[in-house]
Amino acid sequence: MNWRKLRTFVLTVLVLCLIPAMRYNQIDVPLLHYFAGSREVDPLSLHLAGEFVENNLGTEQNADGSVTVRMIAQQYLFVPHCVVVPAGVPVHLRITSADAVHALAINGTDYNVKVLPGTISEAQLQFSNPGEYKTVCREFCGAGHYAMRSEVKVVPREQFPALQPGERGNCAAQ
Amino acid sequence: MRRNESSRGRGISLVWRAAGILMASSLVLMASDNAPERVPSNVSWTAETVAAASSGDAFRGMLLAKRCEHCHGSEGFSAEAATPNLAGLDKLSIWKELQDFRSHKRMSRAMGPIAESLSARDVADVVAYYSKVPAFADPQDNRSFPQIMPDSKHAGIASHLIAFGDGERGIPPCQACHGPVAYRPGVPPLANQNADYVLSQLEAFASGRRENDINMPMRTISILLTDDERHALAEYYGSGLGLQPGSAK
Repeated sequence: MNWRKLRTFVLTVLVLCLIPAMRYNQIDVPLLHYFAGSREVDPLSLHLAGEFVENNLGTEQNADGSVTVRMIAQQYLFVPHCVVVPAGVPVHLRITSADAVHALAINGTDYNVKVLPGTISEAQLQFSNPGEYKTVCREFCGAGHYAMRSEVKVVPREQFPALQPGERGNCAAQ
Repeated sequence: MRRNESSRGRGISLVWRAAGILMASSLVLMASDNAPERVPSNVSWTAETVAAASSGDAFRGMLLAKRCEHCHGSEGFSAEAATPNLAGLDKLSIWKELQDFRSHKRMSRAMGPIAESLSARDVADVVAYYSKVPAFADPQDNRSFPQIMPDSKHAGIASHLIAFGDGERGIPPCQACHGPVAYRPGVPPLANQNADYVLSQLEAFASGRRENDINMPMRTISILLTDDERHALAEYYGSGLGLQPGSAK
């Protein structure tokens, strides 16, 4: 085998490997759903049952010290309208849309989470500095898109309220 | 048949039964771990729901709606400011409210028993009738249309909120859901609504007395509004200006 043939062979193998790599996100492998958990959710019945019912939205305290934040993006609001998280701990964000495509962008950070109806978008965030971070919708979603803003309030770790297992943190006006 | 005859079959069925009991008990345990899910409304806008809500017979609804006239006025315009006008409202929005009154997701001393007394077909028929009643006056009309004009300062606040919202506070424009720019399923058009009714509902959403909005849009927005803004919006919609949000500046 001379080197030209070897080169052709190597390049062919590389190209054949790159095609599935490009299409990775579009290939549906049922076995992966089994291990990773399904991310599908019905956008029309979020309020009826499951993860995104009203009293499950907001910040949840996990056993390992990290927090999980669940939110709904809809025309033209993020619910809850203000989310409180502690600084310096991992924040697992789980967000889904009830209608159109939205994107949750947090000003002052480089986080920009695309939110699609029918799918739970997951993101791992961490805030080092306490403060009030404004969030905006960065995907045109309709007539009220420009007013679709909310807030993430990052508080020092010791000021974060101790949440009971069923309790969810929330700083939206009461 | 065979299962009952052979002893092996019976053994399997016993195992299944035991497994079923175990699963059921574990489900009960899991359910008791979490807080109960709070459901704002049993309505979800699937294609079947929309079809069921739009399947009414407007003529039969007209006969049934004689019962509604005492409070909601003849042909859908109420003389009492605290009672909502129903003329020309979106089918789906009246249908959803009646379903919520029936399931006690929205509490009302007057409407609860009335909505319970209607059958599913009656609800669809009444809804079909009111959605076809004209919302605008013609020369022969003697219905009681809204009259009071808001004061000029309030009109400016309200028209700005309806047309543009307030981006700084995250308040979307009212007209993006309540019309005329865009409507969403189950959202009432507010063009000709009574002032006192709009105000009472904004206050009920803000205080949590009414909590049947799916995914909490109105409970979120009404809290962000100031008291003055709630009055301004109610006056503006109550004077029939809701269709021309830019006109009263």
